[in-house]
Amino acid sequence: MPIILEASDLKKYYTMGESVVRALDGVTLGLQQGEFLGLLGTSGSGKSTLLNLIAGLDRPSGGTLKVFDRTVNEMTRKELSMHRRKNVGMIFQSFNLISTMTARENVALPLMFAEIPAAQREQRADQLLESVGLSGRQLHKPNQLSGGEQQRVAIARAMANSPAILLADEPTGNLDSKTARGILDLLKELHAREGKTIVLVTHDQALASQYVQRNITLLDGRIVSQVPA
Amino acid sequence: MIFSDTVQLSFRNLREAKLRTALTTLGVSIGIASLISMVSLGVGLQEQTVGRFLKSGVFDSISVFSRLPGFEFNLRPARRRATGNRGNVSRPPEKPSPPLDDEALQKLAAIRDVKEVYPTFRVPMEIKFGEFSEFSSALGIPMSAKGEGVFQKISYGSFFNNDTEDTCMLSLDLAGRITDKDPKDLIGKEVTLGYAASNSQPAAPWTQFGGISLQRMEKRYRIVAIVDREPGPTIGAGLFSPIMIPMRKAREMGGADLTNPQAFLRQLSQKPSYVSLTVKVRRPQDTDEVEKKIKELGFNAFSINDALQGAKRAFIILDIILGVIGSIALAVASLGIVNTMVMSILERTREIGVMKAIGGSDGDVRRIFLVESSIIGLLGGVVGIFLGWLVGKVINFGANIYIERQGGTAGQLFFIPWWLIGCGVAFAVVVSLVAGSYPAARAARVDPIKALRHD
Repeated sequence: MPIILEASDLKKYYTMGESVVRALDGVTLGLQQGEFLGLLGTSGSGKSTLLNLIAGLDRPSGGTLKVFDRTVNEMTRKELSMHRRKNVGMIFQSFNLISTMTARENVALPLMFAEIPAAQREQRADQLLESVGLSGRQLHKPNQLSGGEQQRVAIARAMANSPAILLADEPTGNLDSKTARGILDLLKELHAREGKTIVLVTHDQALASQYVQRNITLLDGRIVSQVPA
Repeated sequence: MIFSDTVQLSFRNLREAKLRTALTTLGVSIGIASLISMVSLGVGLQEQTVGRFLKSGVFDSISVFSRLPGFEFNLRPARRRATGNRGNVSRPPEKPSPPLDDEALQKLAAIRDVKEVYPTFRVPMEIKFGEFSEFSSALGIPMSAKGEGVFQKISYGSFFNNDTEDTCMLSLDLAGRITDKDPKDLIGKEVTLGYAASNSQPAAPWTQFGGISLQRMEKRYRIVAIVDREPGPTIGAGLFSPIMIPMRKAREMGGADLTNPQAFLRQLSQKPSYVSLTVKVRRPQDTDEVEKKIKELGFNAFSINDALQGAKRAFIILDIILGVIGSIALAVASLGIVNTMVMSILERTREIGVMKAIGGSDGDVRRIFLVESSIIGLLGGVVGIFLGWLVGKVINFGANIYIERQGGTAGQLFFIPWWLIGCGVAFAVVVSLVAGSYPAARAARVDPIKALRHD
């Protein structure tokens, strides 16, 4: 399988007042197309920072990050937003749906940014909602949906522009364990069915190990273990 | 993101904050209303004064004279002062002008924007009515003058039906001297007009002045109308005279102008020509251009359009002052827009972060906010124009009651021309775009990571 993502000696430093926080301190890793990767670690270990860098929401302080042979470090703001639009789809712990929009509108929003005509947007959104098991819920607003359902809408939204990589940041953090399994099952299904490359950030090693193909554990901004190595 | 989607999304965002949107829009409306009512007051006052003069028909006419050797024609010192160099440039060369004959009339009529050209026939005459007798002069009125100038509002009676009957119109002044009773009763009565005519060429006497022998003629004319002069400038006076008869009748009487010996001598010694011609232009603003062209042809030309230049300038200054006063409320309203949009960014920070995370560019976010504020501006502008119009109507109504009680004529103090509606709305949109540009730029620069952590 070809490598679609490559990080070498990737660093991200923040300045907090006087002190410098080394959120990522030299991470080197490669990601194969179609891989299901778990990023583990306690809070503050740098796993979310790495995910944000991959997502193009932030720029590295050092090292290089290549996605599809393009260096994310060198991208302009415009190019970064294109990267987020086309290459990656993000799923958040707190779902981050737009509360004033229906499920269908939420899923269609990335398509709106991609300048897809309205009729096509709706059709695609309904398809995606069906594929995450939410047919019949198109017109519901987030507050009319359960947590699990909201996260399914968010997954459908992340898939809207058919990105190669899905980035999930603690997607089960706000869900009970049964619902959490449902969400992870869905991700696994997408991985198997559509060959999506998935990066799953979580702190629940036990749960993650049942789903991912490879586990990377971060501590203080460095990779401390890889299973399998 | 395509524009129509941006507009739709902006509308829905505004609907989500109905009260705030409504209040901000109301603020803009009040701003625009105050601007519109102030400017429309300026325009209205201008219409009441300058506009009334313009309608009097004096300003769309140019008097053309033949330049006589030794006769320095210098009626326009004001213009030369006002326009500086231009006055000197357009000053006609000091050589005798071509004769003001029918050929010249055709030439003048061919100038662009000229509506019509007619010769001035002012015939000195005696008017008799019963015991009353007075020496005065009659002016030939073209049939086209119907409904124009002083003939827009005829005090009693109506304009000539045709130019073949012996009918005349009298000034209200003269009518008042003729009769002690209501001038209205003069309509339909006949007066006797006595004038001098050359008897040598009865068919077309106005082109032949070779015959020196003049004869006193008397004819009875029926009064069809009593006309009052517009209150306004008396110089130039346009088409107005104590006695007014159809142009054709004036021609037939013989246009010998006996009031000006020079002109009379010229008529006797040279090729037949007119003393003066009146050139009517299509619109008052064409006067300057046409006047220049007439001068290029070598004639002396005179219009009193310039008399109003000073007044117009004063009104421009008044408009600016009123506009500035009116803009104060709009300036405050624009701060309201800034406030609303900044508040809205704070509330929607997380939403902005989400939009960026799922592929919205800085430009998309900026446009959403810009469109939101221009929608506020557009709505505010439309409502504001209506409010401004309403304010004008109400004040106008009250003011007119007062004016009429004081014995004045009611008029439109507030006047909203079409351009003001367009400019008002456009201005509202531009102001709100400017006001929205800072919040929009701020929204565009929102850091998505911080925004997503924001609650």
